[in-house]
Amino acid sequence: MNQAFRKKIKRNDQLAKWIITVGGMAIIFSVILILVLIAKVSLPLFLPPDSELYASNRLDNAAEVSAVAMDEYLETGYSIDASGLVSFFNIKDGSPLDHEQLSSDTGRQALVSVETFGRLQHALLWDDGSLTIEQVKFSPFFDEQNNNKRSIVHRIEQQAVFDSPTQGMPLRTLARIDEEGQQTRVDLFSANSLHVKILAVTESMFGDEEISEAEEQLEVIFKGDISALAISDDGKQLFAGSDQGELARWDLSDMDEIGLVESFQAFGDGRSITALNMVLGDISLAVGDETGQVTSWFPVRDETGNRTLTRIHDLSLHEGAVRSLARSSQDKTVISLGSQGLNFDHMTSERELLTLNPQDDIRIYQLTTRGDAIIALSDKGELLSWKLDIPHPEINFGTLFGKVWYEGYDKPVYAWQSSSASDDYEPKLSLSPLIFGTLKGTFYAMLFAVPLAIFGAIYTSQFARPRLRGIVKPTVEVMAAIPTVIIGFLAALWLAPLVERTLGSMFLSMILIPAALMVSILIWQAARKLEPLKRVERGFEFLAVVPVIIMAVAVASMLGPGMENLFFDGNLKQWLFSEMGVRYDPRNCIIIAFAMGFAVIPIIFTIAEDSLSNVPPNLKAASLALGASRWQTVWRVILPSASPGIFAGTMIGFGRAVGETMIVLMATGNTAIMDLSIFNGMRPLSANIAVEIPEAPVDGSLYRTLFLSAVILFIMTFIVNTVAEIVRQRLRAKYGRF
Amino acid sequence: MKQIQIDNPIIEVEDLRFYYGESRAIHGVDLKFPEKQVTALIGPSGCGKSTLLRCFNRMNDLIDISRVEGKVILDGESIYDKSTDVIELRRKVGMVFQKSNPFPKSIYENVIYGLRIAGEKDKAFLDERVENSLKGAALWDEVKDRLQDSALGLSGGQMQRLCIARAIAVNPSVILMDEPCSALDPKSTARVEELIGELRKDFTIIIVTHNMQQAARVSDFTAFLFEGDLIEFGVTKQLFVKPAKKQTEDYITGRFG
Repeated sequence: MNQAFRKKIKRNDQLAKWIITVGGMAIIFSVILILVLIAKVSLPLFLPPDSELYASNRLDNAAEVSAVAMDEYLETGYSIDASGLVSFFNIKDGSPLDHEQLSSDTGRQALVSVETFGRLQHALLWDDGSLTIEQVKFSPFFDEQNNNKRSIVHRIEQQAVFDSPTQGMPLRTLARIDEEGQQTRVDLFSANSLHVKILAVTESMFGDEEISEAEEQLEVIFKGDISALAISDDGKQLFAGSDQGELARWDLSDMDEIGLVESFQAFGDGRSITALNMVLGDISLAVGDETGQVTSWFPVRDETGNRTLTRIHDLSLHEGAVRSLARSSQDKTVISLGSQGLNFDHMTSERELLTLNPQDDIRIYQLTTRGDAIIALSDKGELLSWKLDIPHPEINFGTLFGKVWYEGYDKPVYAWQSSSASDDYEPKLSLSPLIFGTLKGTFYAMLFAVPLAIFGAIYTSQFARPRLRGIVKPTVEVMAAIPTVIIGFLAALWLAPLVERTLGSMFLSMILIPAALMVSILIWQAARKLEPLKRVERGFEFLAVVPVIIMAVAVASMLGPGMENLFFDGNLKQWLFSEMGVRYDPRNCIIIAFAMGFAVIPIIFTIAEDSLSNVPPNLKAASLALGASRWQTVWRVILPSASPGIFAGTMIGFGRAVGETMIVLMATGNTAIMDLSIFNGMRPLSANIAVEIPEAPVDGSLYRTLFLSAVILFIMTFIVNTVAEIVRQRLRAKYGRF
Repeated sequence: MKQIQIDNPIIEVEDLRFYYGESRAIHGVDLKFPEKQVTALIGPSGCGKSTLLRCFNRMNDLIDISRVEGKVILDGESIYDKSTDVIELRRKVGMVFQKSNPFPKSIYENVIYGLRIAGEKDKAFLDERVENSLKGAALWDEVKDRLQDSALGLSGGQMQRLCIARAIAVNPSVILMDEPCSALDPKSTARVEELIGELRKDFTIIIVTHNMQQAARVSDFTAFLFEGDLIEFGVTKQLFVKPAKKQTEDYITGRFG
């Protein structure tokens, strides 16, 4: 060999080594990069909330002011003082803008109290007992003359007027106006006298306006005095708390049947309830008491079927009494004021999000309608505004994986229900049912696929003739090339209705096929001695099995309807539901087992078959020479020796089933339930991502949660593969020397 | 061909012809194997000696396209009869292969494999068999403290002796050895040869070997095969010293093969 040629060989070796190294590293790098990129999107879910002091000014007439608020653009703020004067000012520097004088219908210009609710709506109680609801509206304005300069313009709109009550001045008043214009006013007078007045304007078919009115003295059966009141935004529900720890609920939805729903001792220790407010959505009630505890309550169906208010979530614990409660109009965040400042809690996740604790005590505060900023007035006249950054208040470990007691549910559940038509809906983002769904679908698919694939591989590699093997193996491998969307399509649109129609026959054939096989094997044992059969015996057993299976299925499909009539009142599905309490979903685990099994079988089969065929023939010969039958040889020698490969194949199949998307998407029904029943569907992680990611707002909680579920999927397959590899190595060390 | 008189043959081969598909590998061999003696089958590569050996426990059945004509009689029964139970036959005729092939199991499990598959469960009996078989294969002293260790940890020679122990554990009447020492170093070979000398007391041994010296050392009788034909069969000493056939002489003197 000449020198140049040897050099060339060496150079090529080096080159190949580099290319292989770089390629391998690039693959590892890309996999890690993908994981990092996915994880990066989901990571902000766990970032702590943050607040930033945005502006700090002084208000000269602070003592007179009974309400402050600001627009959602963080540009204009306003205060309402005791004379009914609304003063607008610039948030950033505190410079005054303009004023607007409000007055009651009767011309009064002295305010007793202001209650703020909804979207900057203020219920103003004047000193003669009359009440008006005023709404401050901000909107951006683009000045075309002035280079499209943007400015925020505001106006005040009167929404409702209430006359003064005949009983005189109330101690406390709540007023609401709902979307249809129904006006509700609740007055609390001394001695627990609670009075409600509802005014509804309905338009008849002919366009005549009709005003109906209801006035009622509410029944109060409290031990102590009413110390807190709350009314839902639509004015349909009224809550009261007493200074002896009692809660009461009145239903105001039907004007003719206004009445007390329940009244009970909420706190056994008789603590005074100091603050009440509704949580967004008007289902949950936030309760603050004198011990500083904030709790949330909503009606839950008890054993007798009645709905009673139940303590659901325990939120912040303040030092000293809770002074007031407010809520976000964006999500289920509850804001509570105590002596240590403002606490932000998310009701569902029970997360303590933030605490704002300025030097001076906060007297009044108001969250913007977007919920991303808050303005507060201290008792020393300091006007502070903070920008809030609370990206995903509803997410924590508990809501992602644990049981959560969602609004309207009778008990804590694992639930995934990401969206609904209304904004005030409580999103249910528990990943547990999805992980469960993934594992369940995989389990049933493997239950179906593993025995078939492995026994198939054993037969083809050990019993079948080589020529047959040459046909079967490539055919099964072609199965793997079928696009899963086609399998899913067939499963959903052909198999699911078929199984549903012939459920009885299907179960019958599950019994009949093995039975028929057993019988045919016995017959075969007797008949094999006959000369003409001897030629079929070896490697062509399957030819004898095919007609047996076909016959068993045929008999099952003939007998199926009869069996259903005879034993299951003519309808197996109905019988399952009424007798066993099992609901039959048309897209269930039977379908998944078939369809996903079909996708997984080729992988397991091919790898298992290869490793079985690769068992050294001299081991097989040794076993046979010692007088072992073919089956004994397979069971005791071939299978253990091939076990690393079979195991690896099974695990790769498992990984495939875990990540499989299209089939489960089409054939599972996508119901996120946690039920092991084979007759129910499920919602696996992969399908869930595929279904929801197009609808998830980018960077929202749902979007990030979906990415988190992708990380979990990634980790699951990573764990499965790692464990598989470790087990495989061990098996190999134990059984393999080849 | 001159036939020597065998008084108590354990295996009688009558006009045995063996085909791989259409090609004939053995052309009508007649042979009688004496009981409790060592018979060596020698001949150049491809002469059919291994094929002949595998006819005695029907290992050739594994080859799909093979076909056997003629008779092999073991203990007075033709083993190619339809009524013959192959499993029963292989229990009577054990085999040791060219390449040692212990199972990937413990030494203990390897030895009792043949008993296990026959359904033997008595622990004391199995223990005793393991000891006896390993002693019989001159392996006991080396492995008695690590019976539960994997057989794959043994040396090549030990593995081959383990295979012999495994074969004698089922107490066969005949042991077929297919070039048992071809993959072993000289020292291990010597031990196995010594072992064969011991085993002849209890078993009939038929050994295929390439190694003329080995045949001369270990066997009582020798059969020389050439291209599927039995050329000469006789007492080893006579055959090696004074072969009757020219072909035999050429082969044993190393002129071909």
